Amino acid sequence: MSYKLPNEKDLQAMIGIVGKEYATNNKAITASYLSKSVMGLESQIPDIVIRPKYVEEIRKILVYCSAEKIAVSPVSGGLSGGFACPTIKPGGVLLDLGRMNRIIEIDEENRFCIVEPGVTNGELWAYMHKHHPDWAPPIPDGAPPAATVMGDAIDRGFSLYTSSVGPQGDNFMCGEVVFPNGDVVRTGSWALPFAKPFYKYGLGPDMWSFLMGSQGSFGVITKVAVKIYPHPKFKTVVVWGMDNPYDMQDLTLEIGKQEFGIAHNTVMVQGGNYPLVMARWPKDKIPHDYNFYKEIGISQWWMNWECWAQTQEELDYVTNRIDKMAEDFKKRAKSPDAIIKQQLHPKQIASRMKKPNKIAIPYSFWEAGFLFITWYTPWNESAHFAEMYTKKMEEYGFPPVIWIASIERCRQAICMPIVCFDSTKQSDFEKVQELNRDTTEYALKQGWLNYRPDPYIHVQAYYQAGMYWKYLRAFKKLVDPNMIMHPGRLALP
Amino acid sequence: MAKTGMERLEELKMDIYKCIHCKACRFAYSGEPDREGIGEFAGKQGTVLYEGMVDACPAGIEYGWEAFWNAGKIWIARSILTGDLEFTEEVRDVILPCITCGQCSAQCENKIRTVDIIEALRAACKEAGVPMIERHQLIERLTKELNNPYGGKAEERLKWAKDAGLEKYIGNKDAKIGYFIGCTASYRQMEIAIATCKIFEQLGINFRLVEDEVCCGSPFFRVGAVDTAQELMNKNIEAFKDLDLVMFSCAGCYKTLTNDYPKWMTEGKLPFKTMHAFELISRLITAEKIKFKPSKELKGKVVTYHDPCHLGRHMALEMEQEIIEESKNLMMDSRKIKQKINEWYEVPRIVLRQLEQDVGIKFTEMYRIKLDSFCCGAGGGVRAGYADFSLKTASLRLDEANAVEADIITTECPFCYTNLSDANNQYEHGLVVYGLIQMIDEFKLLDITEKPTLKEILSMKE
Repeated sequence: MSYKLPNEKDLQAMIGIVGKEYATNNKAITASYLSKSVMGLESQIPDIVIRPKYVEEIRKILVYCSAEKIAVSPVSGGLSGGFACPTIKPGGVLLDLGRMNRIIEIDEENRFCIVEPGVTNGELWAYMHKHHPDWAPPIPDGAPPAATVMGDAIDRGFSLYTSSVGPQGDNFMCGEVVFPNGDVVRTGSWALPFAKPFYKYGLGPDMWSFLMGSQGSFGVITKVAVKIYPHPKFKTVVVWGMDNPYDMQDLTLEIGKQEFGIAHNTVMVQGGNYPLVMARWPKDKIPHDYNFYKEIGISQWWMNWECWAQTQEELDYVTNRIDKMAEDFKKRAKSPDAIIKQQLHPKQIASRMKKPNKIAIPYSFWEAGFLFITWYTPWNESAHFAEMYTKKMEEYGFPPVIWIASIERCRQAICMPIVCFDSTKQSDFEKVQELNRDTTEYALKQGWLNYRPDPYIHVQAYYQAGMYWKYLRAFKKLVDPNMIMHPGRLALP
Repeated sequence: MAKTGMERLEELKMDIYKCIHCKACRFAYSGEPDREGIGEFAGKQGTVLYEGMVDACPAGIEYGWEAFWNAGKIWIARSILTGDLEFTEEVRDVILPCITCGQCSAQCENKIRTVDIIEALRAACKEAGVPMIERHQLIERLTKELNNPYGGKAEERLKWAKDAGLEKYIGNKDAKIGYFIGCTASYRQMEIAIATCKIFEQLGINFRLVEDEVCCGSPFFRVGAVDTAQELMNKNIEAFKDLDLVMFSCAGCYKTLTNDYPKWMTEGKLPFKTMHAFELISRLITAEKIKFKPSKELKGKVVTYHDPCHLGRHMALEMEQEIIEESKNLMMDSRKIKQKINEWYEVPRIVLRQLEQDVGIKFTEMYRIKLDSFCCGAGGGVRAGYADFSLKTASLRLDEANAVEADIITTECPFCYTNLSDANNQYEHGLVVYGLIQMIDEFKLLDITEKPTLKEILSMKE
């Protein structure tokens, strides 16, 4: 597929749509949108950047670009961690949706909020904290405050109550999307004029789900209705440590299966290994040997259960039950003596419960760069994944940092190796890519899914899922006939 | 340290490559989205919600494009290093409207030295043959000719001292303490220089006003004219070299001599210690050698304090970098960083709380303070190059003072004082702007219990 390189005439056309203040091909400005970290190492400087504010502007831009066969990559105001979906080849137009930043409605009775793509986690959280303090939006835990709810969902993310309620996509009920064929479509019940966005399955099949995980390659989402959940005052964190990932996996699964019980109270269940702590500091200014971490009370592996409850009684019940189950689990554990409850200082608990937060950011402090090569596995394969990947990371000379979180009460695991490397060295870049290729081949054979597939290495998954990909392509062709949206993502076109 | 902008950019490569474009650098309190605040306020520059995370990059707020926020500039720097972008006027015009306030660096979890990067980028841009903007060329010409960017006559640099009866301190050979006045206090806000000298006099400090003082070079370090900056640096080091301690009333000059000079000197280290005058006052209060007298005019006045970036944040970030550099276990040493920074920000607050106790002012903090303080808009060459933007930024800051119903806004930098005063007048904020030392002198507040000895003063910087 070939694309047109935008020229001055195209820029003028964009200026005609949004005004000269909001469209540019200034080389300094376009270069500033680059990003090669966090979720992807491929990024190309776009040719034109546009900052639209209105749906009609977006519609006109997409129709124009479709007719001219100019590639378009939309980016919502934040970035789900480092411009997760920057422009890649062939460049083209980047739509910076940061000006579309209205919080349109919060409906406490029907329990949804309607936001535009540029609304950041921080803004939404603060707004609800102030005006609707009994409710919490599904912001992604660990993504920076400047990331967006929308970007996280489009890119198959998770929320701060993901272990209890499921993946982020499940929190999205209805949306409004502009397709390059010029159509503006509302999904779910919102498709009906005057209807509230209260039901995802609306008039028929759920079109919204086609957009979840699309990485901006189908259209531009201009509004979403997202579930909000109660934000109770009774919260705490319980942490149990162990010395291997299998005990971590199995104990967590036993607790995760307590559905209609404590599993619904454990909103965020996440853990990992001690290098998660180590790699947040400069490589030459932190001990690497586990004994140091042992002395300060950090287990080799651990799991956090963040518990929310409507009453103190309920909270106490949940935490006591977790503790009892952990004690009982020792009888079946691989290393029972290593299963220890970690005592947290109230400040540590407060820090872990702070949302949104910057905990995922400092992994660049280790050297100068990191990549999350993240996968979804069934929960009961997460230990296998962790064992395999940490071994591979060490083979390639990287610290074996891994984070794992439960989705939907341990139905799925999000397994995130954090590959910390020196991005100033081309040789390190190449090693990371090699590690990625090596592990991708293995992971796909196990039936594991890449979380946010990059367009060069993880793309092989689509070739292996030929029939699925055929229908994906067909849908894309329907709404994006000239395949201009974020070409390369999802192996499309 | 490297001596050209491009060399410095290469030196900072690891910092540049650490940026993951997370955008935390846009906000004050980027890690505290549900921080309690003072609510929404409709000011002269629009309505701002002073709660949680607040946009705090003046250039980003003004111009909007990613390139004007810090992360965008870091990726511009990376593109320069990789050869994906060349220096042009387009690049210059995007990297110049940055006040180099350091807010971005303070928010960065990866401890990227953003201000150093932006200054190096500007220097490299100039070295690549891209001309400075006209206003910056003008101030460079003026300074080369007259030793100051204001165009004041070089020989009149100390005229204010003669007019104020302070002539005896000019070239005072007996003194071991010098006072570096700076260009703004010498040519524009002379009342600050006079007030500082009068305070020194009252405290019995024998000090010297150095005739060969020239511009500290700060504007030129900031805009990338590092050759000019280094020339000025060398002149000042020569002029002040036989003093034990040099005192300052200007935040910019203090930061430049304390932090920048040692980095740019080709050999040796700074031959004198440095101290800002507010630090002296604060330490004397802590040592119970001074307090303040009541004042009918000031009693009941709501007074707020603007942390100058060069005095507050830049010094704090430098302390942080020093600890990082020396640390063998940063996880354990990170508490030291917080403690040291908190102590530094307490310095002016000790003075303000004493004023509250003795004078009867009501000291009220604005929302964005200390490491999260919002800039006055004057620094980084922006006041000279982009005056409208500079004053709008100052007005944004004054809106914050209005939001806490302040009568008086104090600060400890003549440049902040100038910009805030000008914006106060232009946008009619209705505040009174004072330098802290100036306020103490003007209202005759100083109540000395015991004058400090030279030894005591010198030991404050050990």
